[in-house]
Amino acid sequence: MTTNQTFALPANDPFGKATNGKLGMWLLIIVDGLSFAGLLIAGVALRVSSETWPAVGEILNIPLTAFNTFLLICTSFTMVMALNSIQKGDQTGLKRFLILTMSGGLVFLGIQVYEYTHFITNDPVFIPSTSIYAGIFYVTTCFHGLHVLSGVIYIACILRMAGLGAYSANNWDHVEILGLFWHFVDLVWILVFTVIYLI
Amino acid sequence: MNDPKSIYVKNAFYLAVLTILEVGVTYLSISQTGQIVLLLAFASTKMMLVAWIYMHLRYETKILKRILFIPIPAGILYTIALMYDIPFRWVI
Repeated sequence: MTTNQTFALPANDPFGKATNGKLGMWLLIIVDGLSFAGLLIAGVALRVSSETWPAVGEILNIPLTAFNTFLLICTSFTMVMALNSIQKGDQTGLKRFLILTMSGGLVFLGIQVYEYTHFITNDPVFIPSTSIYAGIFYVTTCFHGLHVLSGVIYIACILRMAGLGAYSANNWDHVEILGLFWHFVDLVWILVFTVIYLI
Repeated sequence: MNDPKSIYVKNAFYLAVLTILEVGVTYLSISQTGQIVLLLAFASTKMMLVAWIYMHLRYETKILKRILFIPIPAGILYTIALMYDIPFRWVI
């Protein structure tokens, strides 16, 4: 039996030059996207079958969440700039943009916690058991918030590796994979914001 | 796939403008169906911009793009099927 065998990919590989890690992240994105789709479709079905539903902005703070959406878009920009920097070999730029992205994610979470606190302490309270609408709101936004938290922790790990000089102009695969996850979190929020807050 | 910075800046600008337009649509005095169509159109455009420019989907192979896009019509069909089911929920 031979060991240390290498398996070359066929020349016409359907996934091109994508690494296994990158394909794994795309797969996670598809599966996670379907999870979000399940939540949103269930929300839409419950809404259509419900006789009463609050008007847009009656309970939820649209301007504040629109700002949060804008903030998440900005973090997508800083994340892509982090990748752009390391592709040019700029280590300082990579760290700076990763810190900015992480900070944006933390502010996003802070605003979400403020929103929840306001709803829970306000009179009348707006908690998951208040109505079907409240249940859909909390389940979907909390599920997304946990993704943002995971993303922030993920960025912190990559930032630590960047601090150790692990990445260079020829080695930025991990940063690209992190970027895919972060952009997905932004992409999903666009749909959550539209379906839960605006429609 | 090392795009110039200007592409990313422009994309962020378009996304911000579309977000403002989305919020603006909720203040328009048009039918609810019209609002939903506009909001979903803006949201779809924003999602495509994020995937295409920031996630560099345009550089991926055709098969990966197909794998990503095929579940979308399936989800839409599922939603429509659920809508048709709703009027019958009290029949049993």
